Amino acid sequence: MNSMVTIKESKNISIDNTVLNYLNPDYIYIPIKEGFSINVKSNTNIYKEDILLKSDDKLIYSPISGKVLGKTSSMSDNNTVIPCVVVENDFREKIKKKKSTEKYINEYSCEDALKLIYKYNACDRDIDINAKTLLINGIDSDPFEKTSSHIIDLYSSKILEAIDALSIILNVDTTILAINNHDTNNVINLSNNIGTYPNIALKLVPDIYPLSFQNILIKNILTKKQIGAGVIYLTVQDIYNIYNVLKRKKPITEKLVTISGNAIESPVVVNVKIGTSMADLIKNCCHIIDKNYYVITNGLIAGNTLTSLNNIVTSDTRSIFLNTVDSTPEKKCINCGLCNKKCPIGLNPKYIREHKEADRSKCINCGLCSYICPSKINFKPFLGGSDEK
Amino acid sequence: MKNKVYVRSNRSITTISLTRLILILPLIIYGIYKNGVYLYRNNYVNVFGLLKPVIIILGGMIIAGLINFLYEYFIKKHRNENIVDALFSSFHIEYAALLGCIMSINVDIYIYFIVLTVILIISKFIGDRANTICLAFLVIYTISSLIGGFEFANIYEASKTFSYELIDYLIGRTPGGIASTHIILLVVALIGLSVTNNNKTTISVISIASYILIVLVYSLVTKNSFLSILTCNNFLFIASFVATDSVTSCYTNRGMILFGISVSLLSFGLYFVNPILAPILAVLIISLFTHIIDEKIYLLAKNKQR
Repeated sequence: MNSMVTIKESKNISIDNTVLNYLNPDYIYIPIKEGFSINVKSNTNIYKEDILLKSDDKLIYSPISGKVLGKTSSMSDNNTVIPCVVVENDFREKIKKKKSTEKYINEYSCEDALKLIYKYNACDRDIDINAKTLLINGIDSDPFEKTSSHIIDLYSSKILEAIDALSIILNVDTTILAINNHDTNNVINLSNNIGTYPNIALKLVPDIYPLSFQNILIKNILTKKQIGAGVIYLTVQDIYNIYNVLKRKKPITEKLVTISGNAIESPVVVNVKIGTSMADLIKNCCHIIDKNYYVITNGLIAGNTLTSLNNIVTSDTRSIFLNTVDSTPEKKCINCGLCNKKCPIGLNPKYIREHKEADRSKCINCGLCSYICPSKINFKPFLGGSDEK
Repeated sequence: MKNKVYVRSNRSITTISLTRLILILPLIIYGIYKNGVYLYRNNYVNVFGLLKPVIIILGGMIIAGLINFLYEYFIKKHRNENIVDALFSSFHIEYAALLGCIMSINVDIYIYFIVLTVILIISKFIGDRANTICLAFLVIYTISSLIGGFEFANIYEASKTFSYELIDYLIGRTPGGIASTHIILLVVALIGLSVTNNNKTTISVISIASYILIVLVYSLVTKNSFLSILTCNNFLFIASFVATDSVTSCYTNRGMILFGISVSLLSFGLYFVNPILAPILAVLIISLFTHIIDEKIYLLAKNKQR
């Protein structure tokens, strides 16, 4: 953990414990990803949780009830223009039929549980049924994000119940819930309730970046033997989704998103419908105090800058930041070696920056090299491997 | 689109320079006492002599700051930049302070300031390709030698014959640079640098440890004084602060180890050519190859991984 750093939170972008609801957007845009076909006709009314899109093995449900307006190509998902189904909200939240709830979610067979999890899109990750360790990441990926922390705060009992059920269903030997040791409320809350679930081990990890990245967390808190025997890695968001699916067969239509940054007055965590446009969300949930802002998703350090507000909230959106750019002039490299020393996967960002042919495929885009550089060099354009959250 | 940076750490050239300057401050204060106040109180020098160590160290720092500021303001045109950041836009203030620390109190201040100014200006335009402090020292030493000689001992030390004991070496009562002789304060500064993560400690530790080992073996074999060889040319100070100059030293782990060993070996070899210049020349020569060392070592490690 020597290579990681403690990132001081800026006072003006810290978030309190309240959660704002924004569940009534005028329109919802559901991206039609490759392999999916539209399951509804234009100008028809649909219920909430009706199937909007389907592929061979997955279904996508409507987060609202209302009228299907058809297809549009004006929206983007993470800066990539993508065709979307547009649904106009009737603000009635009509549901076709109420589904029964399961009393004990740990009574599912492994096969049935996985079928439901994939059918309702509760989690995009591959679950290895032969793995012997279940690792739940309850740490926010970015130091300025509070999404995971709020999910635990709001749904701690459900999360513990779901983790316990999963550990029984998947028949794992070790179940670990990793949370940040600075997340005092959740540490107290979980410590008080975890006694009911003796098979779950609570692991408090230091508040250092980028510990919450999947491979880095696995490498730092599990033993080589545990890693060798296979690891099922899930986030608390996945666990909450799995709980809803196993308990109520409720598709994932809403999610918590952190809205923060130094260009807004008061940062918040918002419960929002998946498919809401960023423009709607920003307009309705924040008071902008500095108009020279950029919109960044999924973290101020490792996140992506959006090119337009026509992007939509998807199941992958954890946070939205409205922030000004750090305009400190870039100086010449002083050869301090901090980028090389701090790179969590052992790359040499200085060398990669100076040599076009250098292998950068292992870069996880954590942004730590740009953050730590005393000369304020922006390494981001020179790196760029695969995102790993 | 991942090409923007929104948050930065507080670490900057300014904070690194200031930390290093604060940590060498006790050494500077001792140097001012030893080479100014003490000599003045004992009537060895006049008021100018009293102020000479201050003028050399502080004057150099002011010149370096001014060069940095003017370069940022007129050449780089960073006119909105914070004044402190402009002053510390490079390590030149630190270079001037360190050069003052290792410089002889007997140096001609006109030569000192002219050489310092010219070298700092040149390094601003062509970049720090070799260790600036060593280069400036070498030029000043050469000119001083040509016009009259270069001697570390101050007027008091030169006037008598001393028999130094261990404590004299530890508390810096031996001849040397203006503010580079106090070994205890040097060790404290080195620990401070290591704790605040503002130094390439590997270079300091490796070069000092290997040099001590070589000198120890040599002094045992030849029955020469171990401490006098160790302290006669500011090696400890140079290995701690000058060789670890961020810009012109290696930055990879293995590169730093190789750099440290090379500095000590070359210093020892050059000791027989010119004892005073040995560590300066060693650091200067090795600093020319840092980029090659780092690159080759990184590529070797990469190929090994494959």
